[in-house]
Amino acid sequence: MNDVVQNIIHFVITFLFAVFFLMTAASLLVWSERKVQAFMQDRWGPLHYGPQGILLAILDPMKLLLKEDLKPKGTDSIVFRIAPMVFFAPVVTAFVVLPFSPYLTASALGTGIIYYVALSSIDVVGIFMAGWGSNNKYALIGGLRSAAQMISYELPLVLALVGVVMLTSVVGQDCVGTQANLNTCGVGSISFTQVIAAQMRPGVPWLWFVLLQPLGLAVYYICGLAETNRTPFDLPEAESELVAGYLTEYSGLRWAMFFLGEYGNMTIVSAVATALFLGGWSGPGTAIDFWVGLLGPFWGNVVFNIIAVFWFVTKMVVLLLVFQWIRATLPRLRADQLMRFAWLYLIPLTLANIIITGGLLLLPLDRPVRMGISAAANWLLLILVLVTFRRVTGLSAASTIPSWLRRQVATTAAAKAAATRAAQSPEPASAGRR
Amino acid sequence: MAVEPNLEPSLYTEGIGGLRSEEMILNMGPQHPSTHGVLRLVLVLDGETVVQCTPVIGYLHRGMEKIFENRPYMAGPRYIDNADYLSPMINESAFSGATEQLAGIEPPRRAQYIRVIVNELERIASHLVAVGTYGLDLGASTPVLWCFREREVILDLFESLSGHRFTHNYIRPGGVLFDFPKGWLQQCEAFLDRFIDRSWPELDGLLTGNEIFEARTQGVGYIDPQQALAFAMTGPNLRASGIPFDIRVDRPYDAYREIAVEPVTEQSGDCWGRYLVRMKEMKESVRLCRVAMDRLPGGAISTRTPIAFRPPRGEVYFAVESARGEEGLYMVSDGSEYPYRAKLRGPSFVNLQILPELLRGRRIGDVIAILGSIDIVLGDVDR
Repeated sequence: MNDVVQNIIHFVITFLFAVFFLMTAASLLVWSERKVQAFMQDRWGPLHYGPQGILLAILDPMKLLLKEDLKPKGTDSIVFRIAPMVFFAPVVTAFVVLPFSPYLTASALGTGIIYYVALSSIDVVGIFMAGWGSNNKYALIGGLRSAAQMISYELPLVLALVGVVMLTSVVGQDCVGTQANLNTCGVGSISFTQVIAAQMRPGVPWLWFVLLQPLGLAVYYICGLAETNRTPFDLPEAESELVAGYLTEYSGLRWAMFFLGEYGNMTIVSAVATALFLGGWSGPGTAIDFWVGLLGPFWGNVVFNIIAVFWFVTKMVVLLLVFQWIRATLPRLRADQLMRFAWLYLIPLTLANIIITGGLLLLPLDRPVRMGISAAANWLLLILVLVTFRRVTGLSAASTIPSWLRRQVATTAAAKAAATRAAQSPEPASAGRR
Repeated sequence: MAVEPNLEPSLYTEGIGGLRSEEMILNMGPQHPSTHGVLRLVLVLDGETVVQCTPVIGYLHRGMEKIFENRPYMAGPRYIDNADYLSPMINESAFSGATEQLAGIEPPRRAQYIRVIVNELERIASHLVAVGTYGLDLGASTPVLWCFREREVILDLFESLSGHRFTHNYIRPGGVLFDFPKGWLQQCEAFLDRFIDRSWPELDGLLTGNEIFEARTQGVGYIDPQQALAFAMTGPNLRASGIPFDIRVDRPYDAYREIAVEPVTEQSGDCWGRYLVRMKEMKESVRLCRVAMDRLPGGAISTRTPIAFRPPRGEVYFAVESARGEEGLYMVSDGSEYPYRAKLRGPSFVNLQILPELLRGRRIGDVIAILGSIDIVLGDVDR
């Protein structure tokens, strides 16, 4: 009976925390996005409501809630109306598995990573419904782009997480010390709490997987940018090309659902990256034994969880700021370059990472040596990709044509086009010359 | 009112395996965030690929040339300000120069140097807008604000010089309206120093060498030199194709007869080349400004020209190098107070003609990249 009550209290607390966190984070992000961008662009940003305009975080969503619910003529009514919900629901649902602290995890699903990946791919349905239902050409193109983009980037995103799961098979808690459970050791875990636990083993509390899998984090983060439609992958809503993409016809509350959903998605991507690569809640002061010993079981747990949430959120905020930094810096890729980047660059890279990491982890050596070798290989691969590859070959991430070749290619293509034009219709060419 | 485009009737293409895919007509503009004003592009799209593009212009037509015919010569600069609204000073030089040539007036040397200084400042301002909005077109939101921050200083300088930030009405037939106020030259010097030492490298570092920016621009929108000449392109667009044609060099006017201009050229002929030409021209303009300020002669700033003067009968074509190319005025006088005819050759209008040619077979993303790189001003296209 006591267990049931505790479970209910746990559920209520974590659920309220998740919903509260989602809403606060999404609306605060809208404000911080403006403020950070303004800082980088040499302007003030929001200034009038509250100190540094922070009340905008409340007023902005409120304004959207109060607006009239418009539905343009000729839209596919049902599809148009439920698209924002289809988009927003997975965002809320995905918050269930986010491990803010040992206690504040609404559901420590054993299949957390799979659950997150599955939910994040539902978003594309909502976007595509919005694109189709709007009866707008810009929206349709935006929806199509986003379908292609999200399906392409889903693959490297998942493959980038495989490296982490493989690492847990080697450093997982079950494999530690005298209590090693030989049945489960070496299996690997796809539960968020297990992965975090693997990163703060008693002997080595700072073994964040970013040290062992930097390439995994880089690829995951890039794919996260694409999944959340952020610069430089913001093609579905490219405002200079498609006005507002699939959002063109939306306004008021429905638009707000897309808008906040996107920021919620950013939060989730950052939270997952924090949990899987940056050690989750590990950080100075997260030793539960010390606090329990000092303050007793109840207050010790409370203090420990507060510190854990603090570290988790701090790491998330850093990642979110990188999102905003990238947005202020980079231009946007073209649709074909975007696809090429995913299929010819990221996917082979993640597959190579899986094969190399997996192979090295299987070496018949001591565990620290194996891990060291695989980490070295990963760092090497990352540096190779970031620096050497481009310098040596001239190939770039965005284009498979080397920079020194691009001009020649363009010239020959233009010459060919001119020849075709001349062959097809000699009149316009001569008219031009005259 | 704009003329409706005449589209080819075959709207179906043969796809793979004999499948027919319907083409889509997309009206890009006149209300669109990045058609640089009220340009309307009727695009026939096959998926994301442009099959055909028809620019529709005329949404900003103000009958400028007819207005010239009904105003005294002295009132012309005020109206021509609005033609290429990103470089009003240069427009005014074109109108004033044409009128002076018609009437046989030679403006004082000091006025000529002042014109060069303000023209080059205006060229920097205009190129700043071009480069900044080009970044915005490609999805980079920061360059535009940095560019406008610098442009703001130039507008402030113009405001203290002429009383207007934008439509200055400063360069008049016979000279200029005011002399430099006290301290203006020092302010201008300070701006040029800061611009060339801090802001230009900053902007350069943000865009030039950016992997994505290069991938978006290099090899896109290639214009070969023959094609550029056949379409009568001028300005940075022509020079980016490797042809060093510059009115300031080839048909010098005002103080450009005494100041040597180095035309900036690029060989690549693509969007990347056009961007580079603009960036380098800003540097060149700073140099020209400094030279003109160093050599600034004293004396009068204007000849005593009556407000309602009557040039003798005759006709004249006078062109200046605007930030976008050859800005020419063909002016006919019948001996009265008003021009009999004043035809403005807008560089944007002429440069825009090549757009359908460049867009065929490109992606939607390239439409914006190419349009932005040609750098049109709709006020100059429609007049």
